[in-house]
Amino acid sequence: MKKKAIVIGLDGLEPSILEEMLGRGELPHFARLRAQGHYTRLATTYPAQTPVAWSSFSTGTNPGGHGVFDFVRRDIDTYLPDFALSRFERPKNTFSAPRVVNQRRGVPFWKLLGDAGVPSIILRCPVTFPPDEMRGRMLSGVGVPDLRGSQGTGTFYTQNRGERGGENEQIVHLDAGDTFTTYLIGPRNTRANPPADTRCEIRVEIDRAAGRLRVHTGGAPSIIDVARGEWSAWVRVKFKFSMLQSVTGLVRLYVRQLSPHVEFYVSPVNFDPAAPLFPVSSPGDYSKKLAEEIGLFSTLGMAEDHTALNNGRIDEAAYIKQCSLVLAEREKMALHELERCSEGLFFVVFDTPDRMQHMFWRFRDPEHPFYDRELATIYSRQIEEHYRVYDGLLGRVLERADENTLLIVLSDHGFNTFRRAVHVNTWLFDNGLLALKEGHKPGEELGDGFTQVDWSKTFAYALGLGGIYLNRKGRERDGILEEGTDAERVRCAIETGLTGLADPEKQRTAITSVSRAEQLYSGAFVAEAPDLLVNYAPGYRVSWQAAVGGMPHGLFEDNLRRWSGDHIIDPQTVPGILFLNRASPRVAADIRDLAPTVLGHFGVAPNAAMEGKSLLNGQ
Amino acid sequence: MKICILGLDCCAPEIIFQDERLVNIRRLMDAGVWGRLESVIPPITVPAWMCMSTSQDPGSLGVYGFRNRTDYSYSGLGFVNSASIRELAMWDQVAREGKRSILMGVPPNYPPRKINGISIGCFLTPDTTTDIFTHPPEFKKKLEELVGEYPVDVKGFRTDRKDWLRDQIFEMSRKHWTVVKSLLKEQEWEYFQYVDIGLDRVHHGFWDSWDKEHVLYEPGNPFESVIPDYYAWLDQQIGEVLELLDSDTLVLLVSDHGARRLDGGFAVNEWLIREGLLVLDEMPKEITSFNKLKVNWAKTKVWSEGGYYARVFLNVQGREPQGVIPQAEYEAFRDEIKKKFEAITDDKGQPMNSLVFKPQELYHHVRNVAPDLIVHFGGLAWRSIGSVGHGQLHVQENDTGPDACNHAQFGMFLLAAPNCPLRGEYEGAKLLDIAPTLLDLAGYDIPASMQGRSIVAGMEKKPPEGFGGDDKENIIRDRLAGLGYI
Repeated sequence: MKKKAIVIGLDGLEPSILEEMLGRGELPHFARLRAQGHYTRLATTYPAQTPVAWSSFSTGTNPGGHGVFDFVRRDIDTYLPDFALSRFERPKNTFSAPRVVNQRRGVPFWKLLGDAGVPSIILRCPVTFPPDEMRGRMLSGVGVPDLRGSQGTGTFYTQNRGERGGENEQIVHLDAGDTFTTYLIGPRNTRANPPADTRCEIRVEIDRAAGRLRVHTGGAPSIIDVARGEWSAWVRVKFKFSMLQSVTGLVRLYVRQLSPHVEFYVSPVNFDPAAPLFPVSSPGDYSKKLAEEIGLFSTLGMAEDHTALNNGRIDEAAYIKQCSLVLAEREKMALHELERCSEGLFFVVFDTPDRMQHMFWRFRDPEHPFYDRELATIYSRQIEEHYRVYDGLLGRVLERADENTLLIVLSDHGFNTFRRAVHVNTWLFDNGLLALKEGHKPGEELGDGFTQVDWSKTFAYALGLGGIYLNRKGRERDGILEEGTDAERVRCAIETGLTGLADPEKQRTAITSVSRAEQLYSGAFVAEAPDLLVNYAPGYRVSWQAAVGGMPHGLFEDNLRRWSGDHIIDPQTVPGILFLNRASPRVAADIRDLAPTVLGHFGVAPNAAMEGKSLLNGQ
Repeated sequence: MKICILGLDCCAPEIIFQDERLVNIRRLMDAGVWGRLESVIPPITVPAWMCMSTSQDPGSLGVYGFRNRTDYSYSGLGFVNSASIRELAMWDQVAREGKRSILMGVPPNYPPRKINGISIGCFLTPDTTTDIFTHPPEFKKKLEELVGEYPVDVKGFRTDRKDWLRDQIFEMSRKHWTVVKSLLKEQEWEYFQYVDIGLDRVHHGFWDSWDKEHVLYEPGNPFESVIPDYYAWLDQQIGEVLELLDSDTLVLLVSDHGARRLDGGFAVNEWLIREGLLVLDEMPKEITSFNKLKVNWAKTKVWSEGGYYARVFLNVQGREPQGVIPQAEYEAFRDEIKKKFEAITDDKGQPMNSLVFKPQELYHHVRNVAPDLIVHFGGLAWRSIGSVGHGQLHVQENDTGPDACNHAQFGMFLLAAPNCPLRGEYEGAKLLDIAPTLLDLAGYDIPASMQGRSIVAGMEKKPPEGFGGDDKENIIRDRLAGLGYI
């Protein structure tokens, strides 16, 4: 009998919301699955972050075994924050291509399945870029950049000359009038001198009467009409690096307004699945074939355009529409593959619940500093509504799961509100652990990237979404701290000082505890971990600025962004969810248990590095 | 600096430089200097690859094609082999400095040259299962461990069984590139040269299925994409090879000649008979190859060999056994014959515009037994048919088997080296310029015997200004943009 396992990952699904909805009978398919098998909260990783948790899911190890500790890591030569999920290798000679290397190390369980002859279909698992060589098919997920190499940089077009660009956004000022020529911004041509953005010309005509915008794209389709308040279908466009080299990408347009002046928005340029700049699938032509079979789809790791919403370029309604487009693509590819999956592992991750909760949490939290009473009347139940979508999806999956199929539904972490941000580097400065060059003091004007830090007098620095690194001699470029008594004294000072840190203004505790790397992690990659991890209390998180080496004045700041929910807090407080269609003798479950569980279902032994135990066996 | 030459036999500049799907080649073009490369006359695999490697013209090598007259008798032509060429090649310069080279399939390389390093026989190897075709001989075992039986060519590539041919070519080339990658990765080398013969076979086998101008082209035929597919596949292989090279390496993609459509064959001996220049005792009733004809040598003034071009021989008193043309009249007679060849028309009575060459005017030296004239019918639009009995001068069938393309005078080169001062398209490069250019860039002495010139002679060996690069900080900043959490 051919065995199957179906794993549905719902990024960030929060147990408390789900359980309440189950209690009210609003999630009939989840309820059915629970009745048929097992439901429990799922312990997540330290830190409770998507790339970290899914990598532990994939390898069955703690982060020390796979080397992904955060979205952000430091570049050890410059102290600059760098994206931690992949590594960009410059071409090793003048004529070979640059390469990207996945930073998730360790052995994912689908490799073990493949070695045992069991195929896998893996769609959009985070930190699978570039994709693994494996038996079966894989489409990369979170970690796939846009054509600029970023996690998503869109472009805002406006006839308002006074308008300035938002965060992580490009702005193009349009000529006045109803027809004009402008351009899409493509990847930077780093070989040009000086390096310059590639462009692709488009011609725009405004049809005010019809309330729409017509674009001659220079790509395919060559003409698109987009109504105000709507997103276009995908447009494939080409950017030329030189006479010889070019690359194609996919964009969607959103028309924000036509009067009093024209404003529209163009999504980040996604890799073209038919000809990606770097492979986004395994085998390499799978993404192309899939696009031929189901139509074009976003390839960008974070496909939901939260940045456009954060910058106010699109509103909540437009964001929901865009999320629905992403979700529809994902559902289509999932069902398409599930339909033809006759044996082995099928695993898909839906990221949209995470992205939806990040942006809509403020409407369910009246204490949130960016709570909007008026909008809350519309959106306070948006997250619940979104959960219901997955209940419908689960119904369709259940139809395809027979008695030989193991079905697992899980989330990698939960969610909570994010009201106040903590400037951890400022705290380190205030406590004499981080020094600035003479004449400087903490403030927004320092910017990020530790611009004025005096490394010769700095013992520790915070970087990433919770980590603190010691400025270690022989490790950091300008490290001064010897391992031993001095380092221990710094660790103790941070632990003592930050544990229970109070937010005097709100009369709340902001930080519950500080963990040490050696307590949390074991395995081959521990040396890459931050030395300390700050565990925030619900409602708090590391500040935007501190995460990238900034240190504004003061310790706390209200979070006044639409990105208003988060989960990078004490992992004990944000477990995920887990459903099995089998009874489990176990009460508690950890995300590291899933790899052995799936392997066990196929009769394949876990490798020595895997730390969890199959949930199907009594322990 | 290491030298890595990937020879693409017959590679056509108008394909390789035009197809934008060839991303690795495009990247290399952006990093290097490239363009058409004028081949030797005749533009034929043998001697062209050795002309390139030694920077000597065919006359100086004394090799005018695969087959050459070995003496002035009428006994026909003998095949060349690796021993026919004794001039200094690039790998000899490398060996002089005690460094190792690898030659793979560089024709003629049977018997395998005993170079300082490894050499693997070319497609002239009679039988790889029984012959010693590698140097050192025991290297054959290593080859067989890698790819099983090692094919030097597709046996019987002139065939109408097109799907068989396609599969055979791909299978051979897959094995070849597996070996190429393994050699580059695992062996010690300072100089590496490979010749991909699969591309030549693909052109000859499928040009009529692809070239819409070809008289035999049929729209929608099932083999239309074989040529572009092969280029795309080569591009992939080249991309993988580039990954294996370290930064102090010079890379050259190069072809020995180009490719062009073939409009038909010209029955040259049939024509010579009609002109009264070639006399037979008996006219054959069916198509008969030249060496089986009963030639009346005492009455014959001119005869020719077939092939992609014509090698025309005069029957000269005191030179050939039954020579009839007095030595004193040789030059005047040769001029007269040359004019006659130039006046030949095509099947529609239009001038064929053939090119007729005298070896003495082409070459620095004329060694061994050269043809008296070399003819490119219609500038190689027509091949030379040596057999007799066609009953017509212009034929569509080739007497040696189906063949869809001829060679073209211009092949291609694409050179990328970290210290190369030239970038972009380059006009005017010649096949004999390759060896001095590579030796110049890689820092070797250029032997005085070499006849070409370095295209970077006298230039400072450093990349041109204006090849900037983003600083690390900008790239890192870009990577984090849009993450949301920060």
